[in-house]
Amino acid sequence: MRICLLRITTLLCFVVSACALLHANEPYGLNLQGATVQELGGPGIRVVVLIFAASDCPISNRYVPEIARLNREFTRQGVRIWWVFPNPEDNSSTVAEHNHAFAITEPTVLDIRQHLVHLAHVTTTPEAAVFRSSGDVLREVYRGRIDDRYLSIGQERPQPQQHDLEAAISATLADKPVPQSGGPPIGCSIVSLQK
Amino acid sequence: MKRIRSIAAVAALAACIVLLSHPRDSTVYGANPRPSQAPAAASPGVGKLATIRSQSGPTWSGDVASVLYKNCATCHHPGGAGPFSLLTYADARRWGPQLMTATQSRFMPPWLPEPGYGDFADVRRLSDHERDLIKQWVLAKMPQGDPAVAPAPPRYDANWLMGKPDLILKVARPFTLPGGGTDAFRNFILPYPLKQTHYIRAMEIRPGTPQVVHHANITIDRTGNLRRQFPNDWQNGIAGMELMVDAGNRFDPDSHFLFWKPDTPALVEPAGMPWRLDPGNDLILNMHLKPSGKPETLDAEVGLYFTPDPPAKQPMLIDLERDDALDIPAGDANFVVDDSFTLPVDLEVLGVYPHAHYLGRDLQGWAILPNGEKKWLVWIRNWDIDRQAVYRYKEPVLLQKGTVLHMRYTYDNSSTNIHNPHSPPVRVRAGNRSEDEMAHLWFQVLPINVQPGAPDPRLLLEETWMRNRLRKTPGDQVSLYNDAAALAGEGKFAEAVSAFEQELNQSPHDVRTLTALGAALEGAGEWQQAQQRFRSAIDAAGTDDASACDPRFDLASSEFHHGQPEAAAEFRTEVAACPEDAEALTGLAQIEIEANQSTQAVQHLTTAIRVDPSFADAHEQLARAYAQSGDLQGALAELEKAAQLKPDDATVHSGLSQVLAATGSLQQAIDEQRAALKLLEDDADGWNNLGVLEARTGQVPAARDAFQHALRLDPQHPQAKSNLARLQSQN
Repeated sequence: MRICLLRITTLLCFVVSACALLHANEPYGLNLQGATVQELGGPGIRVVVLIFAASDCPISNRYVPEIARLNREFTRQGVRIWWVFPNPEDNSSTVAEHNHAFAITEPTVLDIRQHLVHLAHVTTTPEAAVFRSSGDVLREVYRGRIDDRYLSIGQERPQPQQHDLEAAISATLADKPVPQSGGPPIGCSIVSLQK
Repeated sequence: MKRIRSIAAVAALAACIVLLSHPRDSTVYGANPRPSQAPAAASPGVGKLATIRSQSGPTWSGDVASVLYKNCATCHHPGGAGPFSLLTYADARRWGPQLMTATQSRFMPPWLPEPGYGDFADVRRLSDHERDLIKQWVLAKMPQGDPAVAPAPPRYDANWLMGKPDLILKVARPFTLPGGGTDAFRNFILPYPLKQTHYIRAMEIRPGTPQVVHHANITIDRTGNLRRQFPNDWQNGIAGMELMVDAGNRFDPDSHFLFWKPDTPALVEPAGMPWRLDPGNDLILNMHLKPSGKPETLDAEVGLYFTPDPPAKQPMLIDLERDDALDIPAGDANFVVDDSFTLPVDLEVLGVYPHAHYLGRDLQGWAILPNGEKKWLVWIRNWDIDRQAVYRYKEPVLLQKGTVLHMRYTYDNSSTNIHNPHSPPVRVRAGNRSEDEMAHLWFQVLPINVQPGAPDPRLLLEETWMRNRLRKTPGDQVSLYNDAAALAGEGKFAEAVSAFEQELNQSPHDVRTLTALGAALEGAGEWQQAQQRFRSAIDAAGTDDASACDPRFDLASSEFHHGQPEAAAEFRTEVAACPEDAEALTGLAQIEIEANQSTQAVQHLTTAIRVDPSFADAHEQLARAYAQSGDLQGALAELEKAAQLKPDDATVHSGLSQVLAATGSLQQAIDEQRAALKLLEDDADGWNNLGVLEARTGQVPAARDAFQHALRLDPQHPQAKSNLARLQSQN
C-alpha cells in the first residue's frame, strides 16, 4: 500500500499523476485494541475516507451523526470511512470510551505519530480527507470540511447547504472531477506532538 | 375578570464557547505557530528590542489566567456549561488558538449589546486590553510564565450555588435530546406542589446537561392551562419556541424576566422585588437545546429560594412588538419594522430583553425623552438568537411620563444570512416556530411617583400597551380583552363596558367576555344588565359546567350584594357544579352565616380551605362562623391565619380586635384595632371601636381622642356621638 500525496490546487487534482511514496513499511497507527493498522483500504475498497477528530472537540463530536449517515450511504459502494484521532491526549481508553458514548461503529485509528495528519495535510478536527484507492495506491482527492454548517467560530447555519464531503465521495466513485472544499474546516486545532 | 396574557416564553441564548474553529488560513495561530509568524521577536533583523518584548510579553501565570478566570471559567469548568474547561495552564494551551479566534471575533464571551448604547450590569464584553493579551499570548506560543504567580483557580461546587433551595422542582420525566439534527425548543411543565403562596427571592436552574442548553426561560402559568391542554403529553415536554398562556382571572401581569443562561445559573431578584407562586401554578421551563453529537438526557431541576416578605415594589413586563408587520419577502436583506409606545406614567426601566429569531440582524431600542433628547436603551448590531439574553441596567433608567419608547428591527432574509433556516430563502411571517420570525422588545419597568390612593399604575401601562397593540392590529381579541380588563381595573367602567362590547361583536357567545362585561356593568352600577350578561354567559357555557363557574359565581355575588334572595340558590347551584370552587363555597357560607346557619357554613368553609389553604377570605369567614357558634378560640385561630395571609388587610385586624375583646384580651384588642387603623386611617367605625376599647381599659383621654377622630371623619356618626357624650358625662 502506498499513499500518494497531492497538493490539491485545482478542481481536477485527481488527474495529477505526480505522487510521492512515503512510509511504505510503517503502520498507519493503532486500533483501539492496540494492534497496528497496516491497511486502510483493502479488497473491494475504492474510496478511503479519513475523518480527523478529537474526543474533546465539540464541533468534531457534533458531526458524529453526519458521518454515521455517510457511512450508511456509502459503505456498500466500496467506501471505507475511518475515524482518526491524532491528538496525544486521545489514547485508546479515552477514545474507546468516547466511541461508546457516541455509538461510533466506524473503524477507528489512533494516529499516535500523526503520520496521517502529515500525509493528509490536515490541521483541524473535524477535517476530512478522501483518497481514491487503486491497487495499493491511495491518492488524496479531497481534503477539507465535511460541509458548510460552520463558517467560522460562532458562525453556524441551522443546517448545511453544501455537503462537500458527500459530493467528493460521490464524484470519486463516479470517476468525475472531485469538487473541492468551498471553505476552510472549522473546529479545533490538532494538537502538536511536540511539547 | 379574566385576562389573557401573551408572552414569549421565548427562545434561545447564549452559551459560552461552544463552537471552535481553526480556519486553514489562520494556521499562523495554530497550536504550533510557525516561528516566522510568531511575534516580531523571532523575525530576523528585529534584534534586541524585540527580544525584550518577547520576554516581557504576556504569560498564562502573570496575565492570561486572571482574564480567563474572570470572563470564561463561569462556564468553562469541569461540569460547567462550556464544552471544555479553562482552569489550568494545560487547558488554556489546548484551546489557545480557539480562544484567540473566538475573542478576536467577539463571539466569546457572549455579549451582544453595543457598548455605549445602554449601561448594563454584568457586562461580559472583554476589554480591548484583555483581547489583546490573549492574542499576544497565543502568538508568543502560549508561555506559562512562573506558576508561583498564577492566581488560584476559582472553585465550582457541583451543588446548588446558593445552598440548598427551599423547594426543588423537577421535570416529570427526563428528556432525551437526539444527537443530531437542528436545535430543539422544548417546554417542560413543573407544577408548584405547595398548598400555600410563597415569594421567591432567587432561583437556580440546573438543566442536567448544561452543555447542550443555550438558554432557558421560565413562564408562570397561573391557571395550569397549558398542562390541561396537553393532559397526556405534558410530562414529556411540549415542543415549541413560544407559548401563549392564560393569565387567569385577576390583573396579575408578568413582572420578572425569569431567564437563565449558562453564565448566570442563579437568578437573584433585587431587594423588595420577589415574585410569587400560588397553589395551582405551574412553571413552564422553555429550553433551547443544541444537539451535541450523541443523545443527551436532560433532567432539569429548578431550585427556589423563598422570602417571607411580600414584594414592596411591583414591576411589570411590557413590550414593543411588530409581529403584525412581519411579512418578509424571500431575498430581502433589509426588512425594517418599527414600533413605539408613549409612557403613561413615570417609571424606571430595570432590564431589557430583545427577541427575534434567525433572520433578525440589527435590533435597536431607544427612548425619546419629553425634552426631545434621544436616549439609547439597547443596540445589537449583529443579532444571534443563540446568544440572546436579558440585559439588566447597572442603574434603573428613569423615564418620565410622555417619554416615547422606540424599537427598530432589521431583518435579513437573503441567502447571505447564514442563520437563515431556509435555503433558498422563502417568504417569512410571524409565528412561534423557529423558522418563523418575531419582533419583540421586552422591558421590565417599575412605575414610580405613584400618587397615594391612585389605581395600580400597571393598569394604566396595560391599557396603553393594549391600545398600542390595537393601533397596529385593530380587532385583536387578546388586546381588546386586556384593554377592557385594564379599564375596569382602573375603575373606568363605562369605557370598559364599551371595550368589552366591541370585543363581543366579534365573538358574541364568548363566556369569558360576557362574564367580564357583566362585571364591568356591575362596576358601572348597571347591575340588572350585569346579571343579564352573567345569565347569557351561563347559557353560552351550555353543558360545560367548568366554564360556567365564573358567571355563576358573579351572578350569585351580584344577587347577594343587591339583597336578592336568589343568591343562596345560585351559590348552591354553583357549588354543586363546581365543588372545588373555594370562592363559591365561601360566598355560600357567607349567606349561611347571615342566616345563622353556622354549622353548614363551617362545613363549606372547611372544604374551601382544604381546596385552597391560602384563601384568606375563607379563613376570615370561618372565624365569623366559629364566633357565631361561640367558638372564640377557633375564631381567633382562623383570624390569625387570615392575618398571616393578608397582613395588610385592615378588616382582618379589626376582626381580630373584636374577637380578642370578646375573650377579654383588651390590650391586644386595642393593639389590633390600632394596626387596622394604621392601614385604613379614615375608618370612622374603627376609631369608634378603638375608643370603646380604650374607655373599657380606663384610657379616657385616648378614648376621647378616638371618638373625636371618628367624628371628624363622620360628624354624624351616631355611636361615636353617643359614646363621646357618655364618656364626658361620666368624667
